[in-house]
Amino acid sequence: MTRAAAALVGVVFGFTLAWSGMSSPDVIRAGLLFEDLYLFWFFFAAMATAFAGVQLLRRANARALLTRERITPETLRPEPRHVAGSALFGLGWAIAAACPGPVAAQLGQGVFWSLATIAGIVIGLKLHAARARTTAKAGTRPASVASSS
Amino acid sequence: MYLLVVRDTFASQAPWFAAGPLLGLCVVAVLALLNGRLGVVGGFSDVVDRVSDRSFRLGWKGTFLLGLVGGALLWAVVSAGPESSGYGWLTRTFSGPTVALFLLAAGVLIGFGAKTAGGCTAGNGLSGNAFGSRAALVATMTFMAVAVAASFVTKWIWGAAL
Repeated sequence: MTRAAAALVGVVFGFTLAWSGMSSPDVIRAGLLFEDLYLFWFFFAAMATAFAGVQLLRRANARALLTRERITPETLRPEPRHVAGSALFGLGWAIAAACPGPVAAQLGQGVFWSLATIAGIVIGLKLHAARARTTAKAGTRPASVASSS
Repeated sequence: MYLLVVRDTFASQAPWFAAGPLLGLCVVAVLALLNGRLGVVGGFSDVVDRVSDRSFRLGWKGTFLLGLVGGALLWAVVSAGPESSGYGWLTRTFSGPTVALFLLAAGVLIGFGAKTAGGCTAGNGLSGNAFGSRAALVATMTFMAVAVAASFVTKWIWGAAL
Protein backbone atom coordinates (compact mmCIF):
# COMPACT_ATOMS: atom_id res chain seq x y z
CA MET A 1 0.00 0.00 0.00
CA THR A 2 2.77 2.44 0.90
CA ARG A 3 4.58 1.55 -2.30
CA ALA A 4 1.48 2.17 -4.41
CA ALA A 5 0.89 5.48 -2.66
CA ALA A 6 4.50 6.51 -3.26
CA ALA A 7 4.15 5.56 -6.93
CA LEU A 8 1.05 7.74 -7.22
CA VAL A 9 2.77 10.73 -5.65
CA GLY A 10 5.66 10.00 -8.01
CA VAL A 11 3.33 10.28 -11.00
CA VAL A 12 2.19 13.73 -9.86
CA PHE A 13 5.80 14.73 -9.19
CA GLY A 14 7.05 13.53 -12.57
CA PHE A 15 4.14 15.07 -14.47
CA THR A 16 4.71 18.41 -12.75
CA LEU A 17 8.47 18.31 -13.34
CA ALA A 18 7.89 17.73 -17.04
CA TRP A 19 5.12 20.33 -17.24
CA SER A 20 7.28 22.93 -15.49
CA GLY A 21 9.96 22.53 -18.13
CA MET A 22 12.46 21.28 -15.55
CA SER A 23 13.31 18.29 -17.71
CA SER A 24 14.60 20.64 -20.39
CA PRO A 25 18.34 21.33 -20.12
CA ASP A 26 17.71 24.73 -21.71
CA VAL A 27 15.29 25.77 -18.96
CA ILE A 28 17.61 24.67 -16.16
CA ARG A 29 20.71 26.20 -17.71
CA ALA A 30 18.87 29.47 -18.34
CA GLY A 31 18.06 29.50 -14.65
CA LEU A 32 21.60 28.71 -13.50
CA LEU A 33 22.93 31.49 -15.76
CA PHE A 34 20.32 33.88 -14.35
CA GLU A 35 18.78 34.43 -17.78
CA ASP A 36 15.37 33.11 -16.75
CA LEU A 37 14.53 33.12 -13.06
CA TYR A 38 11.61 30.65 -13.35
CA LEU A 39 13.78 27.93 -11.81
CA PHE A 40 14.19 29.93 -8.58
CA TRP A 41 10.58 31.10 -8.26
CA PHE A 42 9.47 27.52 -8.87
CA PHE A 43 11.92 26.11 -6.33
CA PHE A 44 11.09 28.64 -3.63
CA ALA A 45 7.35 28.14 -4.14
CA ALA A 46 7.88 24.40 -3.74
CA MET A 47 10.02 24.82 -0.60
CA ALA A 48 7.60 27.30 0.97
CA THR A 49 4.58 25.06 0.34
CA ALA A 50 6.40 22.00 1.62
CA PHE A 51 7.65 23.85 4.69
CA ALA A 52 4.18 25.13 5.55
CA GLY A 53 2.67 21.68 5.14
CA VAL A 54 5.34 20.03 7.29
CA GLN A 55 4.83 22.64 10.02
CA LEU A 56 1.10 21.90 10.02
CA LEU A 57 1.75 18.17 10.36
CA ARG A 58 4.19 18.83 13.21
CA ARG A 59 1.75 21.06 15.11
CA ALA A 60 -1.00 18.49 14.67
CA ASN A 61 1.34 15.83 16.06
CA ALA A 62 0.03 13.73 13.24
CA ARG A 63 0.36 10.05 12.55
CA ALA A 64 1.21 8.80 9.08
CA LEU A 65 -2.01 7.81 7.34
CA LEU A 66 -0.81 4.48 6.02
CA THR A 67 1.76 3.33 8.53
CA ARG A 68 0.17 4.79 11.68
CA GLU A 69 3.58 5.80 13.03
CA ARG A 70 4.17 9.25 14.47
CA ILE A 71 5.46 11.65 11.84
CA THR A 72 9.14 12.43 12.37
CA PRO A 73 10.59 14.77 9.74
CA GLU A 74 14.28 14.04 9.98
CA THR A 75 16.75 16.86 10.61
CA LEU A 76 20.50 16.41 10.58
CA ARG A 77 23.47 18.45 11.75
CA PRO A 78 25.75 19.61 8.92
CA GLU A 79 28.77 17.38 8.31
CA PRO A 80 31.64 17.74 5.82
CA ARG A 81 29.97 15.20 3.53
CA HIS A 82 27.02 17.53 3.05
CA VAL A 83 29.34 20.14 1.57
CA ALA A 84 31.74 17.88 -0.31
CA GLY A 85 29.00 15.70 -1.77
CA SER A 86 26.86 18.67 -2.73
CA ALA A 87 29.81 20.36 -4.46
CA LEU A 88 30.38 17.30 -6.65
CA PHE A 89 26.65 17.02 -7.24
CA GLY A 90 26.37 20.69 -8.19
CA LEU A 91 29.17 20.31 -10.73
CA GLY A 92 27.45 17.34 -12.31
CA TRP A 93 24.16 19.26 -12.32
CA ALA A 94 25.73 22.18 -14.18
CA ILE A 95 27.28 19.94 -16.85
CA ALA A 96 24.17 17.84 -17.45
CA ALA A 97 21.85 20.83 -16.95
CA ALA A 98 19.68 18.34 -15.11
CA CYS A 99 19.51 16.82 -11.65
CA PRO A 100 18.13 13.35 -10.79
CA GLY A 101 14.43 14.24 -10.95
CA PRO A 102 14.66 15.88 -14.38
CA VAL A 103 16.91 13.06 -15.61
CA ALA A 104 14.24 10.52 -14.67
CA ALA A 105 11.59 12.72 -16.28
CA GLN A 106 13.68 12.87 -19.45
CA LEU A 107 13.65 9.09 -19.54
CA GLY A 108 9.86 9.07 -19.31
CA GLN A 109 9.67 11.64 -22.09
CA GLY A 110 11.88 9.60 -24.38
CA VAL A 111 14.89 11.92 -24.27
CA PHE A 112 17.41 9.17 -24.82
CA TRP A 113 20.43 11.26 -23.85
CA SER A 114 19.24 10.62 -20.29
CA LEU A 115 20.45 7.03 -20.63
CA ALA A 116 24.05 8.29 -20.63
CA THR A 117 23.43 10.37 -17.51
CA ILE A 118 21.64 7.48 -15.81
CA ALA A 119 24.53 5.14 -16.62
CA GLY A 120 26.78 7.66 -14.89
CA ILE A 121 24.47 7.91 -11.88
CA VAL A 122 24.53 4.12 -11.49
CA ILE A 123 28.34 4.14 -11.65
CA GLY A 124 28.45 6.97 -9.11
CA LEU A 125 26.18 5.05 -6.74
CA LYS A 126 28.30 1.91 -7.11
CA LEU A 127 31.46 3.91 -6.40
CA HIS A 128 29.86 5.29 -3.27
CA ALA A 129 28.87 1.83 -2.11
CA ALA A 130 32.36 0.46 -2.79
CA ARG A 131 33.95 3.31 -0.87
CA ALA A 132 31.55 2.73 2.02
CA ARG A 133 32.49 -0.96 2.11
CA THR A 134 36.25 -0.35 2.06
CA THR A 135 36.15 2.31 4.76
CA ALA A 136 33.90 0.11 6.86
CA LYS A 137 36.37 -2.76 6.51
CA ALA A 138 39.19 -0.44 7.54
CA GLY A 139 37.41 -0.04 10.85
CA THR A 140 36.21 3.52 10.49
CA ARG A 141 32.60 4.17 9.69
CA PRO A 142 32.37 7.13 7.32
CA ALA A 143 29.68 9.68 7.98
CA SER A 144 28.27 9.16 4.50
CA VAL A 145 27.07 5.71 5.52
CA ALA A 146 25.56 6.94 8.76
CA SER A 147 22.23 7.88 7.33
CA SER A 148 20.42 6.71 4.24
CA SER A 149 19.13 9.01 1.53
CA MET B 1 -11.80 21.09 -29.36
CA TYR B 2 -11.60 20.11 -25.73
CA LEU B 3 -8.57 17.93 -26.45
CA LEU B 4 -6.80 20.90 -28.03
CA VAL B 5 -7.39 22.97 -24.90
CA VAL B 6 -5.98 20.19 -22.74
CA ARG B 7 -2.96 19.80 -24.96
CA ASP B 8 -2.27 23.53 -25.10
CA THR B 9 -2.58 23.88 -21.34
CA PHE B 10 0.04 21.25 -20.71
CA ALA B 11 2.23 22.00 -23.71
CA SER B 12 3.07 25.44 -22.37
CA GLN B 13 5.23 25.79 -19.27
CA ALA B 14 3.21 25.62 -16.07
CA PRO B 15 3.09 28.87 -14.06
CA TRP B 16 5.69 28.65 -11.26
CA PHE B 17 3.07 29.39 -8.60
CA ALA B 18 1.11 26.32 -9.71
CA ALA B 19 3.92 23.86 -10.41
CA GLY B 20 5.99 24.83 -7.38
CA PRO B 21 3.23 24.25 -4.81
CA LEU B 22 2.34 20.97 -6.56
CA LEU B 23 5.84 19.68 -5.88
CA GLY B 24 5.65 21.03 -2.34
CA LEU B 25 2.43 19.11 -1.79
CA CYS B 26 4.14 15.94 -2.99
CA VAL B 27 6.75 16.38 -0.23
CA VAL B 28 3.97 16.82 2.34
CA ALA B 29 2.05 13.84 0.95
CA VAL B 30 5.01 11.47 1.30
CA LEU B 31 5.49 12.59 4.89
CA ALA B 32 1.78 12.47 5.74
CA LEU B 33 1.14 9.11 4.11
CA LEU B 34 4.18 7.10 5.14
CA ASN B 35 6.47 9.27 7.26
CA GLY B 36 8.99 9.37 4.42
CA ARG B 37 11.37 11.94 3.01
CA LEU B 38 10.69 12.50 -0.70
CA GLY B 39 13.81 12.19 -2.80
CA VAL B 40 15.02 10.91 -6.16
CA VAL B 41 18.56 9.65 -5.54
CA GLY B 42 17.19 7.24 -2.97
CA GLY B 43 14.96 5.83 -5.68
CA PHE B 44 17.89 5.27 -8.06
CA SER B 45 19.77 3.70 -5.16
CA ASP B 46 16.85 1.39 -4.41
CA VAL B 47 16.57 0.22 -8.02
CA VAL B 48 20.33 -0.31 -8.32
CA ASP B 49 20.43 -2.34 -5.09
CA ARG B 50 17.44 -4.50 -6.05
CA VAL B 51 18.84 -5.21 -9.52
CA SER B 52 22.18 -6.14 -7.92
CA ASP B 53 20.40 -8.57 -5.62
CA ARG B 54 18.41 -9.94 -8.57
CA SER B 55 15.33 -9.18 -6.49
CA PHE B 56 12.54 -7.04 -7.83
CA ARG B 57 10.88 -6.11 -4.61
CA LEU B 58 11.39 -2.35 -4.67
CA GLY B 59 10.89 -0.16 -1.62
CA TRP B 60 8.70 2.93 -1.72
CA LYS B 61 11.55 5.12 -2.95
CA GLY B 62 11.95 2.86 -5.98
CA THR B 63 8.24 2.84 -6.76
CA PHE B 64 8.19 6.64 -6.34
CA LEU B 65 10.90 6.87 -9.00
CA LEU B 66 8.98 4.59 -11.34
CA GLY B 67 5.92 6.77 -10.81
CA LEU B 68 8.01 9.82 -11.64
CA VAL B 69 9.09 8.32 -14.95
CA GLY B 70 5.47 7.35 -15.65
CA GLY B 71 4.23 10.82 -14.81
CA ALA B 72 6.66 12.41 -17.22
CA LEU B 73 5.61 9.91 -19.89
CA LEU B 74 1.98 10.85 -19.24
CA TRP B 75 2.82 14.50 -19.68
CA ALA B 76 4.63 13.80 -22.95
CA VAL B 77 1.53 12.04 -24.25
CA VAL B 78 -0.89 14.75 -23.10
CA SER B 79 1.17 17.67 -24.35
CA ALA B 80 1.99 15.94 -27.65
CA GLY B 81 4.86 18.33 -28.28
CA PRO B 82 7.49 18.12 -31.03
CA GLU B 83 10.48 15.99 -30.15
CA SER B 84 13.83 17.71 -30.17
CA SER B 85 16.75 15.36 -30.67
CA GLY B 86 19.18 17.82 -29.14
CA TYR B 87 20.30 18.22 -25.57
CA GLY B 88 20.74 21.88 -24.75
CA TRP B 89 24.17 23.49 -24.64
CA LEU B 90 25.96 20.15 -24.90
CA THR B 91 24.71 19.17 -28.34
CA ARG B 92 25.14 22.75 -29.51
CA THR B 93 28.79 22.65 -28.44
CA PHE B 94 29.98 19.08 -28.92
CA SER B 95 29.50 16.09 -31.19
CA GLY B 96 27.34 13.14 -30.16
CA PRO B 97 29.96 10.85 -28.60
CA THR B 98 31.47 13.75 -26.63
CA VAL B 99 28.04 14.71 -25.35
CA ALA B 100 27.48 11.17 -24.15
CA LEU B 101 30.83 11.22 -22.36
CA PHE B 102 30.08 14.52 -20.66
CA LEU B 103 26.68 13.22 -19.54
CA LEU B 104 28.25 10.01 -18.26
CA ALA B 105 30.81 12.00 -16.26
CA ALA B 106 28.10 14.35 -15.01
CA GLY B 107 26.04 11.35 -13.94
CA VAL B 108 28.94 9.93 -11.94
CA LEU B 109 29.34 13.26 -10.13
CA ILE B 110 25.60 13.46 -9.53
CA GLY B 111 25.26 9.90 -8.27
CA PHE B 112 28.35 9.86 -6.06
CA GLY B 113 27.92 13.43 -4.86
CA ALA B 114 24.23 13.31 -4.04
CA LYS B 115 24.51 9.94 -2.30
CA THR B 116 27.41 11.26 -0.20
CA ALA B 117 25.46 14.39 0.67
CA GLY B 118 22.38 12.37 1.53
CA GLY B 119 20.20 13.85 -1.16
CA CYS B 120 19.76 15.87 -4.35
CA THR B 121 17.69 18.93 -5.20
CA ALA B 122 14.56 17.05 -4.20
CA GLY B 123 15.84 15.17 -1.15
CA ASN B 124 17.90 17.94 0.43
CA GLY B 125 16.65 20.99 -1.43
CA LEU B 126 12.93 20.40 -1.10
CA SER B 127 12.32 17.81 1.60
CA GLY B 128 15.32 18.51 3.80
CA ASN B 129 14.65 22.23 3.94
CA ALA B 130 10.93 21.69 4.43
CA PHE B 131 11.82 19.55 7.44
CA GLY B 132 14.07 22.32 8.75
CA SER B 133 17.25 20.29 8.50
CA ARG B 134 20.37 22.45 8.81
CA ALA B 135 22.37 19.84 6.91
CA ALA B 136 19.93 20.19 4.03
CA LEU B 137 20.28 23.97 4.08
CA VAL B 138 24.07 23.73 3.92
CA ALA B 139 23.81 21.16 1.15
CA THR B 140 21.36 23.30 -0.83
CA MET B 141 23.45 26.46 -0.61
CA THR B 142 26.51 24.48 -1.67
CA PHE B 143 25.05 22.77 -4.70
CA MET B 144 23.27 25.91 -5.85
CA ALA B 145 26.44 28.00 -5.63
CA VAL B 146 28.56 25.36 -7.34
CA ALA B 147 25.99 24.70 -10.07
CA VAL B 148 25.72 28.41 -10.86
CA ALA B 149 29.49 28.94 -10.80
CA ALA B 150 30.18 25.85 -12.92
CA SER B 151 27.54 26.91 -15.44
CA PHE B 152 29.24 30.27 -15.88
CA VAL B 153 32.62 28.56 -16.20
CA THR B 154 31.31 26.32 -19.00
CA LYS B 155 29.85 29.41 -20.66
CA TRP B 156 33.21 31.19 -20.49
CA ILE B 157 35.26 28.20 -21.63
CA TRP B 158 33.09 27.12 -24.53
CA GLY B 159 31.26 30.32 -25.31
CA ALA B 160 28.03 28.39 -24.86
CA ALA B 161 25.62 31.07 -23.73
CA LEU B 162 22.70 28.69 -23.69
